[in-house]
Amino acid sequence: MSTLTSRDLNSSSTQDSTSSFTLSYIWFAVSLTVLTGVYMSYRFYQQAYGMSAGLDSTEPIFQEIWMRLFWIQLPVLFGLVALIQLYLFFTRDRNIDAITPEVELKRYFYFTMWLVVYTFTFYWIGSFFAEGDGNWHQTVLRDTPITPSHVVLFYACIPVYLMFGIGGFVYAMTRIPAFCKGISLMHVFAVVGPFLILPNLGYNEWGHAYWLTEEIFSHPLHWGFVILGWNALSLAGVLMQIISRLRELLPIVFKPENA
Amino acid sequence: MNTETLQHPRGAAAGKAHAVETVLSVSGLSPQAAHFSRVFELMVVAAIILLFTGAIHLHVLLLAGDWDLFLDWKDRQYWPLLTPVVMIMFPAALQGIFWTFFRLPIGATVGATCLMVAVCITRPASFMWWTDYPLNLVLPAQMIAGAIVLDVFLLVFRNALFTAIFGGFAFAFLFYPSNYTIFAPFYVPVSHQGMMASMADLIGYVYPRSATPEYIRIIERGTLRTFGDSASWVSALFGGFICIFMHYAWWYLGVTMSSMKFLPNNTKVMALMGTKADA
Repeated sequence: MSTLTSRDLNSSSTQDSTSSFTLSYIWFAVSLTVLTGVYMSYRFYQQAYGMSAGLDSTEPIFQEIWMRLFWIQLPVLFGLVALIQLYLFFTRDRNIDAITPEVELKRYFYFTMWLVVYTFTFYWIGSFFAEGDGNWHQTVLRDTPITPSHVVLFYACIPVYLMFGIGGFVYAMTRIPAFCKGISLMHVFAVVGPFLILPNLGYNEWGHAYWLTEEIFSHPLHWGFVILGWNALSLAGVLMQIISRLRELLPIVFKPENA
Repeated sequence: MNTETLQHPRGAAAGKAHAVETVLSVSGLSPQAAHFSRVFELMVVAAIILLFTGAIHLHVLLLAGDWDLFLDWKDRQYWPLLTPVVMIMFPAALQGIFWTFFRLPIGATVGATCLMVAVCITRPASFMWWTDYPLNLVLPAQMIAGAIVLDVFLLVFRNALFTAIFGGFAFAFLFYPSNYTIFAPFYVPVSHQGMMASMADLIGYVYPRSATPEYIRIIERGTLRTFGDSASWVSALFGGFICIFMHYAWWYLGVTMSSMKFLPNNTKVMALMGTKADA
């Protein structure tokens, strides 16, 4: 038994009155491709320079390889975060109340694409580079808060997911009526929770400097990250909000001629 | 379901066309609406898989981390107790979401599979290729068997409380036996410098983790060894007891976090964003 694809469903003989409705997937595909390239590049950089230049922060080569990357990426990535939000704000719809159901539906689809890209960035920080960080710290003695694993995990991955987390929030608020008139509580949790992982890093480093010089990964010192990571669950609430509106919009936008 | 939908025309193409017509008639959507509805579903599936792969892995990594990361931490006292208690949380929340809103009894298995995929990517990518540990030392535990049983209990009982009581308990109780086939070879006793150790201990001694020295390894403390071979079952039993409550709490946490609540926005902010309060 084969699964019906979206193409199968659209190949039926019944025609819609709104056959002009299309979506552009270009930016969605570009974002995922570029992000994959960026993340893979970071991993190869760690492979190339982690052991050879990342073991002792007092050595000149550490400054050259790791601190240079740190100081370059920090303004670039946080600058991009700010630029994207400013772009979204200044290109906002100044009369959201006047949009047609078709435009609203389209924006819900693009908003969902923002969320998919956001979850993609969350995978890399929550899973791939997080375990890489554990692996590094359990193997190599920690002598600085800016280790080769932290340069990537906290100071590159977090700004990248801020781009898409806050970006999705601003996109929804400036273009979708329901998200403009009300503040989605779950969307706030989904964005702010993971964002707070960055300030929580201060507590983590403080604890590692004074309490726990070894690395027990399940130590209570790390539980702040866990509780903030739980906020990811609230993205389900955002998806439910989108689904409930889509159920109303789809029959309005796609009226069968023979209905 | 009417009888007409059960009569399948012969031939693959005819069968597919019949299936399309059935889906459209049941959903009440036009073909194009159904097409975009399916596109949206694919995006939601992608978002859920990516999100929960990251979230579950982060959660397990930082709560049960060392017991799941290292072979020589997989003891009979804490590993069968802590790991399932930590691992049931997100699958229970996913069960709550999937069952309450979509009547799909697949949440726990989805969560367990996401975690399994995540660790199968990161163990080689990090521990093997970056710091050159053998994969044996960092073999992950699996909870897919327990998760399937948990989903089956939900399918049978169709009730959160009974799923928590029976499924939650079974999830933890099955953890040790369902992983035993993978780890049994490493529990073989060996003689090391005149003392008895397990093969897992020996692998740990050979590959030292500089920042995770032997003295912080938390395994088999207290009078455990006087229990003989029943120790792991006592831990599994206790783990099952905690999992009952953990499942119930996280089921409702998942449902609560799926709230569709909007808080009223400030009128000035609304005006700035391009809408009016009374619109």
